[in-house]
Amino acid sequence: MTVARPLWTSVAGVTLAQSAALVAPAVVTGLANPTGYAVVLATALLTVWFWEGLFAALRRHTPSGHGITTALIIVVLVPVDTALWQVAIALSLGVVLAELVFGGRGFGFLSPAVVAASLLVFSFPEVTLAPGTTNVALATAPGAILLLFLGLISWRVILSAVVGTGLLLMLSVDGLNAPQVAAAMTFCVVFLVCDPTAASATNTGRWIYGLLAGGLIVLFSGGPIPTTEGIVFAALLASIFAPLIDHLIVLAHAKRWKTADA
Amino acid sequence: MHYTIRQGHWPSDLVAPVQAIDGVSLPDTAAVIGADFPGLRPVFAVEQGDEVAAGQVLFTDRKHKEITHVAPCAGTVAQIVYGPRRTLSACVIKRAAQATPRQSMPLDDSTDAAVRDVLQSRGMWPAFRTRPFGRTPSPDARPAAIFVNAVRGAAAPDPHVVLQARTELFAKGAAVLTMLTDGLVYVCQAKGHPLCPITNRVRVATFGGTMASALPGTHIDRLYPVQSGRQVWTIGYQDVVAIGYLFATGQYAADRVVAISGPLSESPKLVQTILGARIADIAADSMAEGANPVFHSGTPLSGREAVFLGRFDVQITATARPAPPRKASWLSATQGALIPTAALDRALAPRVLPVPLMRALSVGDSETARRLGCLALIEEDVAILSQLCTSGADYGLLLRQVLDELMEDAA
Repeated sequence: MTVARPLWTSVAGVTLAQSAALVAPAVVTGLANPTGYAVVLATALLTVWFWEGLFAALRRHTPSGHGITTALIIVVLVPVDTALWQVAIALSLGVVLAELVFGGRGFGFLSPAVVAASLLVFSFPEVTLAPGTTNVALATAPGAILLLFLGLISWRVILSAVVGTGLLLMLSVDGLNAPQVAAAMTFCVVFLVCDPTAASATNTGRWIYGLLAGGLIVLFSGGPIPTTEGIVFAALLASIFAPLIDHLIVLAHAKRWKTADA
Repeated sequence: MHYTIRQGHWPSDLVAPVQAIDGVSLPDTAAVIGADFPGLRPVFAVEQGDEVAAGQVLFTDRKHKEITHVAPCAGTVAQIVYGPRRTLSACVIKRAAQATPRQSMPLDDSTDAAVRDVLQSRGMWPAFRTRPFGRTPSPDARPAAIFVNAVRGAAAPDPHVVLQARTELFAKGAAVLTMLTDGLVYVCQAKGHPLCPITNRVRVATFGGTMASALPGTHIDRLYPVQSGRQVWTIGYQDVVAIGYLFATGQYAADRVVAISGPLSESPKLVQTILGARIADIAADSMAEGANPVFHSGTPLSGREAVFLGRFDVQITATARPAPPRKASWLSATQGALIPTAALDRALAPRVLPVPLMRALSVGDSETARRLGCLALIEEDVAILSQLCTSGADYGLLLRQVLDELMEDAA
């Protein structure tokens, strides 16, 4: 092969691009309470890197830093007044169960951030996740465009999730408050629902996956404005179904080749 | 009918060679390389040190003794090297300075049996490759169609230029091909005047767009997909000329016009040489002074490092010697995972699902890979996936393992 490989065709490049996209929303979130935020961020980073270092040592791999994206997503989702030990436990379970036991970034089938956020809400009923705000949504836009440009998120998933949510909201409540719905959803849809390792991997599958996630968002939120918890659970359930969706697409596609070796 | 291919890389960042044949450049040695015919076990008809004429039989295939491989030039057999399990590694010929001219005599091309006999006994049979599997066809196989690939690849010779003085031989060769199949002979070319006359058995289809438009796998997918157990054959346009020449004159033609390009070549250009030519001999005068290049035979994406020109290749890329691999950085794991990106979805021109196929190939699941249509592909079609995938896996190699498994099952 004599054609050079672009940087983003490595797992490290993907992590770099995702981290770059996460910087703006993470900074915007931190502006309200910089000190408290810095402590949560430090806890999150220490937790993910501790587990990654431990797994790398046990498996005799070079330590990797992919957990940085998980940590950045979690600090946007949790309010600064959450107990640090709760954040640490949820993140530990998230990165270990959804990523590290499978062999690291990209080998699992769920997003570690989604699993961490879900476990946080399941385990500690008093914790509520931070609702999406207009500022965070606006700060997400440039990163989303970068990820779309690099092909790390799929416009099919975004579009079908938006259509799924929009349609169901229009049917269930009167008067769709589009700006508020968009503000509440943008960050979570881009970084949780669209996670390339958790979403469907075929183009037809992506439409179904996005519609499913969009519909579940309305179902789990139970109101005119999607809640962060609702989106996290919708992303979790949709990504559990993603491999099944892909499998069905493969079966449908295989008809074309059915008698290929008669 | 014109097909615009949008999947894969657009050929832009490569220096296109000057599209005029620079002259004849003959090597000191040429070779028949086993890597072009994996699994081939030869029965040699010559010994090391024997004098051979151009087109003389060097060896036959142990499984099908009708299929011969012949010397690309007159000279002496310098070296016969076996690979593992008595497969062929290489048979190297040292070229004689003067070849003795032979008499010209047209051959009989009126029946299927006569054409087969000539192609097999005179060394032209290995120019064909089957789909599925990408192997030399068995002597009595009858393809459902034959695809002639005359689409210009990135930094490859322009078939319109190469065929300029050989139009009649090309047309003759295409006509001979119609004897071998009950179906059609598809000549796939770029937009422009047809390279050969269109008859009721010879169709011309035009392809343009990305680098994938120059792959036979793409042509087959668009024109006559490999389905329902049917087999098609592929052949390069310069081999069709050689077949035309063989039947017109009775002589074997090993001529090959190749493009020499790449970052280390001073002036990318076309040279006329012979099959299996030693690349360093023919590329020496287009390299910069003091350059110590690595030569790749084949397309920029699927070419392999080579000493001799590959049997199916028409281009050579000269690159700098790669630096020893860097130490792993803090971000990189020892082995990467497959992260599905949009680039992978847009990489393959044949209509298969790329990511499920890559997953099936990675774990060697041949049954799923077959259902996903891997029989339509060979290494060169999936070379782009190895370049774009975050896992760094060699999908050509993985595909070949799966195809070998499926070929064994089918046999």
